[in-house]
Amino acid sequence: MAEVKSMFREVLPKQGQLSVEDITTMVLCKPKLLPLKSLTLEKLEKMQQAAQDTIRQQEMAEKEHHQVTH
Amino acid sequence: MGSEMEPLLLAWSYFRRRKFQLCADLCSQMLEKSPYDQEPDPDLPMIQAAWILKARALTEMVYVDEIDVGQEGIAEIMLDENAIAQVPRPGTSLKLPGTNQTGGPSPAVRPITQAGRPITGFLRPSTQSGRPGTMEQAIRTPRTAYTARPVTSTSGRFVRLGTASMLTSPDGPFINLSRLNLTKYAQKPKLAKALFEYIFHHENDVKTALDLAALSTEYSQYKDWWWKVQIGKCYYRLGMYREAEKQFKSALKQQEMVDTFLYLAKVYISLDQPVTALNLFKQGLDKFPGEVSLLCGIARIHEEMNNISSAAEYYKEVLKQDNTHVEAIACIGSNHFYSDQPEIALRFYRRLLQMGVYNCQLFNNLGLCCFYAQQYDMTLTSFERALALAENEEETADVWYNLGHVAVGIGDTNLAHQCFRLALVNNNNHAEAYNNLAVLEMRKGHVEQARALLQTASSLAPHMYEPHFNFATISDKIGDLQRSYIAAKKSEAAFPDHVDTQHLITQLKQHFAML
Repeated sequence: MAEVKSMFREVLPKQGQLSVEDITTMVLCKPKLLPLKSLTLEKLEKMQQAAQDTIRQQEMAEKEHHQVTH
Repeated sequence: MGSEMEPLLLAWSYFRRRKFQLCADLCSQMLEKSPYDQEPDPDLPMIQAAWILKARALTEMVYVDEIDVGQEGIAEIMLDENAIAQVPRPGTSLKLPGTNQTGGPSPAVRPITQAGRPITGFLRPSTQSGRPGTMEQAIRTPRTAYTARPVTSTSGRFVRLGTASMLTSPDGPFINLSRLNLTKYAQKPKLAKALFEYIFHHENDVKTALDLAALSTEYSQYKDWWWKVQIGKCYYRLGMYREAEKQFKSALKQQEMVDTFLYLAKVYISLDQPVTALNLFKQGLDKFPGEVSLLCGIARIHEEMNNISSAAEYYKEVLKQDNTHVEAIACIGSNHFYSDQPEIALRFYRRLLQMGVYNCQLFNNLGLCCFYAQQYDMTLTSFERALALAENEEETADVWYNLGHVAVGIGDTNLAHQCFRLALVNNNNHAEAYNNLAVLEMRKGHVEQARALLQTASSLAPHMYEPHFNFATISDKIGDLQRSYIAAKKSEAAFPDHVDTQHLITQLKQHFAML
């Protein structure tokens, strides 16, 4: 411990100005609260999803149909 | 005892219990028995009733409140000729949200969307995705702040809903609109109203709907305000805002209804006249004091004009009238969170939880509030729930991104690194995660990786100042002053009041002057 004490000695200015160097640090993007969705938006999204699923199913069915006929 | 119920009564009962598919199927069976599949025979009231009931059931299945719907496609945004002034005065336009910052949190605290608005606490279909300045900006899909949904994907939604309704019925459409004798139906007001709603909502054929409405209003000798509102709705959909305004005003003269006020305000918002819309809402409030939807409309406009403090006041007014209003609670909650009061925000979000809202977004927000309010016991469990409830990858990405912040907060850099990586795995366009990852890499001393990440972040989200500023700082450190200056300028454009950016710019200018 004695060694450490001799190595580092604190400097406290008794008079005059204390200056601190201002280092620019990088900034993080801020945490993001997620907005809640309105009922209408949820319904729209649900309907769009359902529509896309139907289209996909029909396309699959058509493809299978083609394969059977050829 | 007859085991069979009267089919029409059963269908009607299904309709009242909102079992629309069953109702429609039953009606179809009844209609198949009748030889007239296209048009109901006036002598057969039963068949007519089944026909109209089926139309109503099909309408209800796809019904969305027209007041809430207001998606602007890319064409409407870029080719907008309705705005009166191309360079509006500050505080009179929704296009220049940044001009009216009074007491709102700065972008240093509250993230902003691509349009330069602080992110909102609530998402509606018409939450403005922002009117981008250039075509290039419009085509670029900004998913970063989540209110900014990809603009291109919105243009075809109405059309797609229409086709979807056709696809679901294998025998083609229920009513063949082109064979419909509109004049005949217009003379039967009760049938016409249901038919109109069917054409408007289910078939999405606005032009035919408008024809029917015009004939009907003529038949009623322009005395029925309901038809005027419907004509106004059609005009609005067709983008003829001035004509829509006339219809709504005329309807209001006949009969004052809250709905009509809301539709008319929607027209003014589309015309980019928020002040007129505000005045209209106030007129409406004189007639209907304390009406929640009108108060909420005012709050939304204030929020979109970036006037957060008065928006919060109106949201509070909404809560005084209706203390279960989800939108108001969510907006006030997020407002408190970003004005450094996470404890109060936590109470609002807990209220939502009590009310039965149970989804990914709410638990994510609860987790964040708990963490920043120093209630560490609930933080991780909330985030776990949020992850379990996430419906798509973008939501998962956002939750991981916020978890990364928690990890940064407790000083676990490795965990933070993993969290941000996971956010990127789930959503490869998550600009904020790129930026934060760059900061972490820089702490480890990996300059080149940090630079690459920052470049990705700034190209994904040019509206955020953080990546620009960070890039400028790094470039400044390694002596690439020219790049540093360019990035600092971009950062200044995104956030003019940022002190560190201004410092950096003056420093760089001194450097250049010395050369």
